[in-house]
This record gives sequence, structure tokens and C-alpha cells, in this order.
Amino acid sequence: MIAGSAGNVVVWVVWFVAAFACLGSALAVVSFANPFFSALALIGNLASLAVLYLLLNAEFVAAAQVLVYAGAVMVMFLFVVAYLGGEADAPWAGGPSWQVVGAIAAAAAILVEIVVVIGVAAGDGLSNEGDISSAFGSPAEIGRLFLTDHLLAFEVTSIVLLAAAVGGVILGHHSRRVDDPAVGGRG
Amino acid sequence: MLGPDITWYLVVSAILFSVGALGVLLRRSPLIVLLSVEIMLNGANLALIAFSRLHGESDGQVFAITVMAVAASEVVVGLGLIVAMSRRNLALDVDRLNSLRG
Amino acid sequence: MTSVYASWITLLSPLAAAVAITLGGTAISRRAAGFVATTGTSVAFAAAVVAFIDILGEDPERRSHLDTAWTWLGAGKFDVGLAILVDPLSIFMMLVVSGVGSLIVGYSIGYMDGDDEERRYFAYMALFVFSMLLLVQGGNLLLLLAGWGLVGLSSYLLIGFHHERPNAIAAAKKAFIMNAFGDATFALALFLLIAHTGSVSFGALEEVTGAGSTVTNLIALGLLGGAVAKSAQLPLHTWLPDAMEGPTPVSALIHAATMVTAGVYLIVRLHSIFEAADVVQDFAAILGAATLLVAGLIALVQTDIKRVIAYSTMSQIGYMFVGVGLGAYANGMFHLLTHAFFKALLFLAAGVIIHALAGEQDMRRMGGLRRLMPFTYWCFLIGSLALVGIPPFAGFFSKDSILAASLDRGTLGAILVVVGLAGTFLTGAYTFRMLYLVFHGSRSAYATEHHLDDGHEGPLTMLVPVGALAVLSVIGGWIQFAPFWTPVSDFLAPVAEPLAEASNWMEVVASVAAVALGLAGILVAWAIYDARRWRVPRWTAVRRALEEKLYWDRLYDRIFYSPAVWLARATLRWFERPVIAGSAVGIGVGARESGEIASEVQTGYLRAYALALAAGLAILVLVFVSVR
Repeated sequence: MIAGSAGNVVVWVVWFVAAFACLGSALAVVSFANPFFSALALIGNLASLAVLYLLLNAEFVAAAQVLVYAGAVMVMFLFVVAYLGGEADAPWAGGPSWQVVGAIAAAAAILVEIVVVIGVAAGDGLSNEGDISSAFGSPAEIGRLFLTDHLLAFEVTSIVLLAAAVGGVILGHHSRRVDDPAVGGRG
Repeated sequence: MLGPDITWYLVVSAILFSVGALGVLLRRSPLIVLLSVEIMLNGANLALIAFSRLHGESDGQVFAITVMAVAASEVVVGLGLIVAMSRRNLALDVDRLNSLRG
Repeated sequence: MTSVYASWITLLSPLAAAVAITLGGTAISRRAAGFVATTGTSVAFAAAVVAFIDILGEDPERRSHLDTAWTWLGAGKFDVGLAILVDPLSIFMMLVVSGVGSLIVGYSIGYMDGDDEERRYFAYMALFVFSMLLLVQGGNLLLLLAGWGLVGLSSYLLIGFHHERPNAIAAAKKAFIMNAFGDATFALALFLLIAHTGSVSFGALEEVTGAGSTVTNLIALGLLGGAVAKSAQLPLHTWLPDAMEGPTPVSALIHAATMVTAGVYLIVRLHSIFEAADVVQDFAAILGAATLLVAGLIALVQTDIKRVIAYSTMSQIGYMFVGVGLGAYANGMFHLLTHAFFKALLFLAAGVIIHALAGEQDMRRMGGLRRLMPFTYWCFLIGSLALVGIPPFAGFFSKDSILAASLDRGTLGAILVVVGLAGTFLTGAYTFRMLYLVFHGSRSAYATEHHLDDGHEGPLTMLVPVGALAVLSVIGGWIQFAPFWTPVSDFLAPVAEPLAEASNWMEVVASVAAVALGLAGILVAWAIYDARRWRVPRWTAVRRALEEKLYWDRLYDRIFYSPAVWLARATLRWFERPVIAGSAVGIGVGARESGEIASEVQTGYLRAYALALAAGLAILVLVFVSVR
């Protein structure tokens, strides 16, 4: 274990706080009946994750996480929750019993396997952290990588975003056949 | 590195992933399911960032940003679907959406 | 040399006629097809005569020529050529086959006139003549077997010629199947021969006699099986009476004059192996004797005129088998010749009657035709007298010489002579019974009603061959009168040395006894059927047995046919329907049902799909981690 300087202790404390916040909010997302509360919990989750990223020297990603995820995506979620009215549904009700059992079993199995891999199978591979330069995680570095090594991913991502935008427009389009003005909808 | 080892971050990521999976499998509201998917994606992102730190290469972070972009797009489409469903007065219950039965 | 070339022409001209008729199709008229076939067989006869004359000019010891056209089958040391053998025996048979054949084919022009499928008939007849010639001219056993099979085929085709009649079809099948049995034993014998000598030439038969008695006996037995089937001897005789379903000229040619005599020819041609397996040869003689007796008895109760003649054929071939079985080869062949004349005559004359009575064959509906059809009556009478063996007609010379020769053969011969003499009595009885029933007495109502009276008894094409055969039946026997002059025996002796030489007193005794018994038979028939002095003996049990043909058909039905049908039905029920049809249906049903079961996975239940994804992921990770 690490012992030592005060900085280390601070880091540990921050880590614990952020980790528990992260996991707690994740559980909250999954358990709350009211979708509004779930969305809010997710915002908390994203924020704590940003803290964890900072602890991992990924500053730019942390910033992007807060700006994009917590900022844009969750706002969209909240808009939709507001639009839908957020009726509370009984979260765990319904469905056959084997679904519940199977779900818990599958999730537990995945968790156990990953932990086993991390703890046992990975061996020494996880203990030697590399030295990092000051440019690690900086926007300049990320930008450089995007425009040189991972240019293809960059471009494809832009196409994916375009597709999503077009899809959103189409899905949101009022089609005259289905939406009878006399019946109206919520629109 | 200060603070916990990479393994701790990976454990957190694993738990996040499992919790998200539970949510996808056990909730009936499509909105919550979408949120759970977001949790799973974030868990994966955390793992990516952790490994990036381990190897001292920034490629993991580049990957994580790409994942974020894709997640955003997916959320757009997913929410669009949910809105369209509610406009057609379909029940927002995953169990009731079974017309692909065959 | 000339005889060889002429022999090739003999062989091939009927084939050319058959091919011409087949290829000509409807382009040639029906009557023209008949003339083509007749020309083909007549050319064959002319060529045979030429060959005969040519070979007479040669030294008796050097009269055997084997001419190979080309090598037909060659496999290592095994070599079979497309070869014909020109020697006295084959020329003898060629003359009989083509001569009598051309007369009968010519007769058919009149008999089959008006039939829709006349062309097919003549093509088949020409094919048959070719096949029979191939059989007798074949230069090795394989070609002989080829001819053997082809005559069986032609017989099948011609018996079943009127294919719209179920009886005809059944009879054709019966004939073919029984002959196939004989062909199988023949082929097995050939296999043994090839196994032991590696060759199918006639010479190989001489070689194999050294291979030990079992092999020799088996080969001879197999060959005998084929001969018995083809010649309708006991126990493979039941097909011949049924074969009368075919047109009358067919019965005359195939089932009297030529095909059924192929067995006799075979024994003479392959006499060396039969002599080596003397048990088998004696067995052949015994079978012949049994057949002649049985056939004669059954003929006494037949009501169909053609069937009487058919049983008579069976009986007379029995005589030939006795002859060659005892080693009197030339005598047997001579009887074959005379039998061809008078038996064909009887059949063709019967055909004239049948033709005149619009197809009626039942003798009980005939009667008193003597004044209505005098020419036919006299020809029939000549044929009958020749058959019974009354001098000076043909049968006397040939049949009695067989009986005489068998007197030379010890105990077995003596027994067979007794049987043969009994057969002579029976021959007289049934033949003249037939004659009296058909021609004597008062004219039957049927005859009066149906007789077509257009001035003559039948078309010229029918009456001329009948007349020709009648003449031959009168003079044909005179070519050999043992012991005074024996050109036939001398001609055939180089091919097959006889094992039995009748002395003069044997000839006399045999002749006198045979003629006496024949006359006695005629007398009995006259007393019962013509003068009506005696009545037909009641003897119901015997009568029933004879009418059932001594239960042979029933026996075969019980042994072979019923089990085969049972097996077929059982297979249909237990295997064909459930397994084969069932699997065909079952595959479809099974596919559909498994599809229905499989489609139950598609519940439409989204969370189940998601669960499947998660579970799959868990399993895959496990696999990858553990397997490494």
C-alpha cells in the first residue's frame, strides 16, 4: 500500500469520495422510480467520473466529460423527461421471474469475471505505471493524436454525429398520417 | 503515481459496468434503460482512461472522447425514438413493445 | 472362303431387315414390312444353302471354320472375339432356322394382315431370326449366350405382342422369368468355366474336363439348366403352354421349330463337357423322358388346339433330349429337323383354322371342318401322321432312330425306351383326338355361324407355306433311313461322335414297336372321338390332376410367386411406406415442426434478448479467460 506524503493522503481521500459518489449515484440511477431523479443522479455520476479522470491526469477528457456529457447530453435527457411527464413506474415490477434471476446472475458473473481478471489473470501487467510527460492529457496532445494517428476515427465520428442529427430530425418530424390533428398528441 | 493503483480504478469501472447492465436488464421504462446504457459506457470510458494512464499513452483518451461522441449520438436517436413513441401514444414500457414476436 | 462369307450374310440379313423396318417406321406400309422381313430371312436361307453346298465340297475332317470379325472384349489374357463358327452342325441349324423361318414369316403376311402393329411384329420376327442364328452360329460361348438372351427377349416381345391383353403380358413375363432362371444357371456355368480356364471358346470346354469332376459337373449342370429352361423341359416347362397367347406364327416359329430346340443344339454343341460329366448327361435324358410322358398325358385333356400342339412340342423335345442325353446326337438333331417341319405345319394349319373361325381356339366349338376346309384338313392329317411317326412320313425316321439308339445304352436306355414307347401311344391318342374333334363329326354351331366363306380357306400367303411344309413332312424324313442310308449322321459325325450306335435288329424292333403303339393310340382316339364307340373314361381324380397340369403351376405359385408377393407387400407396408415415403414426408414435417419450436425463441420480449446478450458476454469472457 502506499503510505507517505500528505498529498498522497489527499488523493486517496478524494478518490474514495469520488468513487463512492460514482457508484452510489449509479445505483441511484438504476433504482429510482421517478425518471427525473434518475437523470439527476446520472449527472452526479458524470461529475464524479470527471473527478476520477482528473486524478488520472486526463484533464481534457474530464473537461469534455463535464461539458459534453453532463452539460449537453444530460440536458437533453432532462428536456425529454420534462416532456414526457416523468410518470413513476414501479421499477422492479413485471416480467417473468427468470428475468430477474437471470439478470442478477449475469451481471454478477460479469463483475466477478472482470475482478478475477484484474486481480489474478493480469498478473504484473497492471503494476508498472508508465512515466508521463507534462503533455499527457493536454488538449494539444489529444488534438495532435486526433489529427495524425487517429484521423480516421475523427472523421468517422463526425459522420456518426451527422447521422444522429439527421436521425433526430426525422424522428422528430410531424408526420401527417399518424398524427391526426383532431386527436392531437402531446405536440 | 499518487493515490490508488490502476487496479482500483478498474474495479470501479467493473462495478459501474455491472450496475449499468443490471439497469438495462431490469428496468421497464425505456428512458431509464437509456440512462443505464450511459452508465455502462462511462464505466468503459473509465477503464480506457485508466489504461491510458498506465501505459503513458494518450491514445486511450482519444478513444474515450470518441466513445463520448458516439454515446451522444446514440442518446439523440434513442430519445428521438422515445419521443416518437409517446407521440403515437404507445406505452413506454419495454415489455409491451413485443410486435417483433415470431 | 465362300461358306464363311455366306454364313455372315445369313447372320446379318435378318438383322438388316429388322433395322430397316424399325428405321422405316410408318414410311413403309404394313404389308411392305412383311415383305422386307420375308426377304431378309429368305436371303439368309439362300446364303445358308450356298454355305451348305460349299462345305460339302470340303474334306469331312476339315469342315470347321472359325471366323472372327474383330476382338470384342479383351482384358489381359481373356479374349473374346465377334466370331462365327461354320461347321456342319451350325450349317444344319442355319438351314432349319432360316428355311422354316422364312416360310413362317411369309405366312405371317397373311395371318397378321390388318393388324395395326404389323410392322412391329415383323421387326420382332426378323430380330428373332437374327438372334437364333447368332445362337447357332456363335463362335464362342459368350456369343452363344448373347444369342441365347436375345432369343429370350424376342420371345418375350412376341408372346406379349398383343399387349392390350393382360393374359398375353402375364404369359410373356412368365416365359421371360423362367428363361432368366435358365440364363442365370448358364451364366454361372460360364463364370466357373472362365475361372478355371480363362477362356470362353468352345475349346475351353475340352480343357476344363481335366479340372476335376465337381467343377465339370457343376458347369454341365449349369448349362443343362439353361437348356432345360429354354426347351421347356421339366421342371421349367410351365411357360410354354402359356406362351400360346402369342400369335400363331410366333408359336410355330419360336415355340416349335426353333427357339425351344436351342437346348438340344446346346447339348450337341457342348457334348464334350456333357460326356465328361456323364451323370449330368444321363440326367438330361431322364428329364427328357419324364417330360415326354407328362406332356403327353396333359395333352389328352386340353381343349385349346394350340395348347395341345404346345404340349406335343414339349413331348417331342423330350424325345430329342433323350436322344442327345444318351449320346445319339445326330439322331436327336435329325428329329429336330423333322419336328420343325411337321410341328410348324401343325401350328400353321391351326392358324388357318383360327383365322377362318375369327380367332376361336377352343376345340369344343369346332367340328366337322373337314368338308369346309379340305386343304387344311389334308395338311393337318399329314402333320399328325408325321408326328405320330407313321411311315412313310417324316417323324417315323427320326423318332424311331432315337428309340433304337437308346436300346444300345444299357439299362438306362432300356427304361427310356419303354417310356418313349409309352409316349408314342400317347402321341397317337392326343394328336388324333385333336384331329377328330376339329375336323370330323358334325359341323358345330359356332363353325357354321362364324366361318368366313369367301371361296377359299385363307389367303395364298398362308396356304403356300402350309403346303410347302406338308410336302416337307412327307419327303423330309427320307433323307435318312437308318441303317440303309445315313447322310445326316455322317454329316454331323465330325462335330459330335455318337455314343450310341443302333444295330440293325434294334432299329427293326424299335420301329415296329413304335409304329404299333402309335397306331394303337390312333385307334383309341378313333374309338372315343370319331366312332363314338367308347366313352371317355371318367377317372375324375386323374382328369382333374391332368387338367391342372399335374399341379406344377400351383406348386410354383406356392413356392415362388406367393412368397414374392408376400415379401413385396410386407416390404411395402413395413419399409417403403414408413421409411421411404415417411422420411420424405417426415423431412418436410420435421423441418416445419423444428422451425415452429425454434421460433419460440422469438418472443418479442426485449428484456429477454438483453439478458441473452449479457449472459453471452459472461460466457464468452469466461471462455476467453480460461482458454487463454
